[in-house]
Amino acid sequence: MLIEAEPEHCTAVIKGLCAASLLCQVEPVGRWFEAFIKRRNRSISASFQELEDEKESSEESEDEEFQLEEFALLKTLDPKDWKNQDHYEVLGLKNLRYRATQKQIKAAHKAMVLKHHPDKRRATGEQIAEGDNDYFTCITKANEILSDPVKRRAFNSIDPTFDNSVPSKSEGKDNFFEVFSPVFERNSRWSNKKNVPKLGDMNTSIEDVDGFYSFWYNFDSWREFSYLDEEEKEKAECRDERRWIEKQNRAARAQRKKEEMNRIRTLVDNAYNSDPRIKKFKEEEKARKEAEKKAKADARRKEQEEKERQRQAELEAVRLAKEKEEEEARQQALLLKKEKEIQKKAIKKERQRLRATCKNWNYFAENEVESFKMMEEIEKLCDRLELTSFQSLNETLSVSTKEEGKSAVEKQIQEVNAQIKREKEQEEARMRQATRAGENSGMGGGGSSSRSWSEDDLQLLIKAVNLFPAGTNARWEVIANYMNLHSSSGIKRTAKDVINKAKSLQKLDPQQKDDINKKAFDKFKKEHKAVSTSVDNAVPSERFEGPGGDTTPWTTEEQKLLEQALKTYPVNSPERWEKIAEAVPGRSKKDCMKRYKELVEMVKAKKAAQEQVLNASKTKK
Amino acid sequence: MTNPSVIRYCEKIICPLTARVVFQLVALNLVPSSDWCLGGEKNLPGTSMAAIGVHLGCTCACVAVYKDGRADVVANDSGDRVTPAVVGYLENEVIVGLAAKQSRVRNAANTVDNVKQILGRSCTDTQAQKHISESKCLVLEKGGKPKYEIDTGEAVKYVTPDEVAKLIFSKMKETAQSALGSDINDVVITVPFDFGEIPKRSLGEAAVAAGFNVLRMIHEPSAALLAYGIGQDVPTGKSNVLVYKLGGTSLSVTLIEVNSGIYRVLATSTYDNIGGICFTEALTDHLASEFQRSYKQDIRGNARAMMKLMNSADVAKHSLSTLGSSNCFVDSLYDGIDFDCNVSRARFELICSSLFNQCIEPIKKLLEQVEFKANDVNQVVLCGGSARIPKLQQLIKDLFPEVELLSSIPPDEVIPIGAAIEAGILLGKDNLSTDLDTLTIECSASDILVKELDDAGANRFTVLLPSGTPLPARRQHILQAPGSFSSVCLELYESAGKSNISTEYKFAQIVLKDLQTKANDVHEIVTVLTMKRDGSLHVTCTDKDSGKSEMITVDETS
Repeated sequence: MLIEAEPEHCTAVIKGLCAASLLCQVEPVGRWFEAFIKRRNRSISASFQELEDEKESSEESEDEEFQLEEFALLKTLDPKDWKNQDHYEVLGLKNLRYRATQKQIKAAHKAMVLKHHPDKRRATGEQIAEGDNDYFTCITKANEILSDPVKRRAFNSIDPTFDNSVPSKSEGKDNFFEVFSPVFERNSRWSNKKNVPKLGDMNTSIEDVDGFYSFWYNFDSWREFSYLDEEEKEKAECRDERRWIEKQNRAARAQRKKEEMNRIRTLVDNAYNSDPRIKKFKEEEKARKEAEKKAKADARRKEQEEKERQRQAELEAVRLAKEKEEEEARQQALLLKKEKEIQKKAIKKERQRLRATCKNWNYFAENEVESFKMMEEIEKLCDRLELTSFQSLNETLSVSTKEEGKSAVEKQIQEVNAQIKREKEQEEARMRQATRAGENSGMGGGGSSSRSWSEDDLQLLIKAVNLFPAGTNARWEVIANYMNLHSSSGIKRTAKDVINKAKSLQKLDPQQKDDINKKAFDKFKKEHKAVSTSVDNAVPSERFEGPGGDTTPWTTEEQKLLEQALKTYPVNSPERWEKIAEAVPGRSKKDCMKRYKELVEMVKAKKAAQEQVLNASKTKK
Repeated sequence: MTNPSVIRYCEKIICPLTARVVFQLVALNLVPSSDWCLGGEKNLPGTSMAAIGVHLGCTCACVAVYKDGRADVVANDSGDRVTPAVVGYLENEVIVGLAAKQSRVRNAANTVDNVKQILGRSCTDTQAQKHISESKCLVLEKGGKPKYEIDTGEAVKYVTPDEVAKLIFSKMKETAQSALGSDINDVVITVPFDFGEIPKRSLGEAAVAAGFNVLRMIHEPSAALLAYGIGQDVPTGKSNVLVYKLGGTSLSVTLIEVNSGIYRVLATSTYDNIGGICFTEALTDHLASEFQRSYKQDIRGNARAMMKLMNSADVAKHSLSTLGSSNCFVDSLYDGIDFDCNVSRARFELICSSLFNQCIEPIKKLLEQVEFKANDVNQVVLCGGSARIPKLQQLIKDLFPEVELLSSIPPDEVIPIGAAIEAGILLGKDNLSTDLDTLTIECSASDILVKELDDAGANRFTVLLPSGTPLPARRQHILQAPGSFSSVCLELYESAGKSNISTEYKFAQIVLKDLQTKANDVHEIVTVLTMKRDGSLHVTCTDKDSGKSEMITVDETS
């Protein structure tokens, strides 16, 4: 409950509000927030009731803009000539024209109907023409055209108030923007696309200008000329006539459309040609290109000069370096020679000194024989001793007595002898090693990991090599695997081992090979015997493909003869193998062919192995 | 064009009606496309009137759809309304959601979770460092930005947190689209209040990368309020709402003032060291010790076993919110031993008692910070999955005995629903102002009060225009005076704080004289207060019976 006022009280403001409004951060959430922001952005200070009012008033203001302007000559219009009337003017939308919304058109029509309907006028006592002859038909017709989007568009296209003129080039020479800007503005209403670029002004960037002209050169217009059709399709009486009319109209429309496009084209052409910006850009571009060209030429020349200079400098440097090197080498050689000479001299001197001392002491010997022997030893010493040891020896000799000197010399002699002996031993060892290496290479290809190859293993290897001929995928790995699987020796062999061994085997002379083959055959026979004794009618589970298992081995001589024969009878000679067989005594044609095949195989295998090794070494690298 | 002979055939033989239909079709073909329409109404091209709200949390993401005036959470392809925000990278596919979470036991190094913690942060950021140290997926710094190293066998990929977020958003988009059966782009995304500019932008960019059109990004507490429609019915009145959000890895308490339907955050605080995961960890630890007690095996060192146990504990925790007890069962947890343990709700509450205290303490601190008493809070909104815990709700209820606890919407769905409602509000509005982060508006600085007498005859002050009202504002009140008075005086006071109002705060008085006395009736005085943006106040008082009115205009003392 409010309090009662004292008699002396009256409405008054005692003081102002002490706190002003505060700025607060709020959360952008919720519908009241949206409403608030909307209100604030419209900068209308009011509460929510006023917001509603504002909404209404905005609609009103829209209506204000929409003012009907009665067409003065409305009543004089001839309904028959509706095609030539300005429908907007008839409805009083003279100012809005193509900008009028459907709503406005509807409203305008309603207003006109209210005012001009024959019934209404009849009520006021006006004379009404009969039927369609009344001017009200014009209003109906106007509404019919404008309320139908298609028809309205057709009418808009030929808007009688539209200025179709195109300024010529000379017109736009001096005040280009003033002349062309409104023309483009005007024509942009035909564009199918929204946001038609503006002509801009002198400061517009080249991109925008380019965009502008490319837009207008590719202008996509919705303007069409169906409104101007001479005949009306609906009037036709039969379908043939209708089709004929349609055809006529189409042709006329296309013609007009073409004219329209030409008009736009001319407009853009004129504008482009007289656009001062384009001129400016072109000049700038030209200047830029020239400058670029010049800069390029300059750069090239400079570069060439630089190159020349560099080349000269390099040559000079090389020459200098060479000279210096030669000089140095000469100096070095000289120095070396000198040093050598000095050393030689010193050694000579020392030698003489030693001999002299020894002679003085009569070679530390009592008799002739001993002294001779000693002399020999000392000569040996002289030959072998280094300068420094010479010096030390001579030093000791010069300060010591005869006995001491003798022992020193003997000691030196012993040392020298020991050295000689050592060297000899080393030499021998080397020799031995060399011979052994030779043997090794004969045996296992000199491989570092060469392991002992037993007879069985060799057999197995040969078998494997034949089993997996050249060309088998990963041949040596497969062979190594096979070997490891079947070997009785239990030594694990790698593909490399196998390759080495196989290569060395190929290197063997045929005699050795035959030996091996023979042995293999013996063994085979032995095994088979063992097998056959143990198993009755046993079928050998292994295939044996030892080369020449049933023939005598080829001797070297036979081999040579065969090779000779192969050379003398080339591949295409008739009855080649018969002749070859004749050339090799004791061998049949079949034998020869077999041997030849074997040889070819061997050569092939050799090549393959070489390649493998080569590849392996490559991959290692 | 239709063959004329066909038309003729129709005309003559079948029936004229068919012929007309054919003609109409031809006519339709002639009608060109509609873009020539000038000056007419613009038709919006087939916009679907649905929008969605997405909440991407540290552990879970959730999407709600606003359609036909209602906002509702939609379930994902596995039938869950909440999708774990976990992304797992497999050898030749990327999985998001529950499948990724479940396969984390086997694919921990290539599974990314809690991506929100590191999104848009540099490696030097403390929270990012915490995330890097905790993440099972290796995080490396590349070009100043953290990246996850994903090694799926063939090649090592480096994935930015933004890409992970994008994947989650894509998943949410798919979920919404499959629920709606149509393509949907417009979305409102929620961000935590403590998110800085860069993380916020990263989140927005991730959403855009996923194909969303982000209408707006709103703060999570505001979304929670919107979900309950607080202040949305009438744009008057003022209330204070506490938003309590206990998410997977963080706790945030926010106090929001709702005035005239507009939300203003008074105070907020976020704690990154406590969240739902802490409860799971505590329960896991308990289960591990139970296991040790039964089988004399310590499994704490075994990461995989612990992860299995943790998944089981997670399930148990969830069911304990509704059931009195829950069974934890893990097949072949450790060394082939199956583990089976029953946990009652009481046991769970005992285990987590210290955690509960930690969860409640921030509320008290926040109230102290703004010098509020428990009674000054009008409503409490619970959100975040862990706010389901009954004990926690009980504790909050104890803290605010007089206050309405809003938990009718499942707490983990509150925020996305709010976002979806906001999306619905924004839907179809063009020229949305995008830069709303630093939006400030003018508000009234002080309460405007009028002195009245209560029934006992003591002075009483009634607030006519509360402080913090967004300006411009208009408030209308109908004040009553005893009918025996022939004149009425409205003494107007202003008050900035809650201190006692004395005469020195009086700034104006309005006197209505020569009123008709009425024996058993009351005078009704219509009082309209209008405050402009500059803070000047205009008060009009009108007696309803006689129509007598008085008005004053008060400016601020400058």
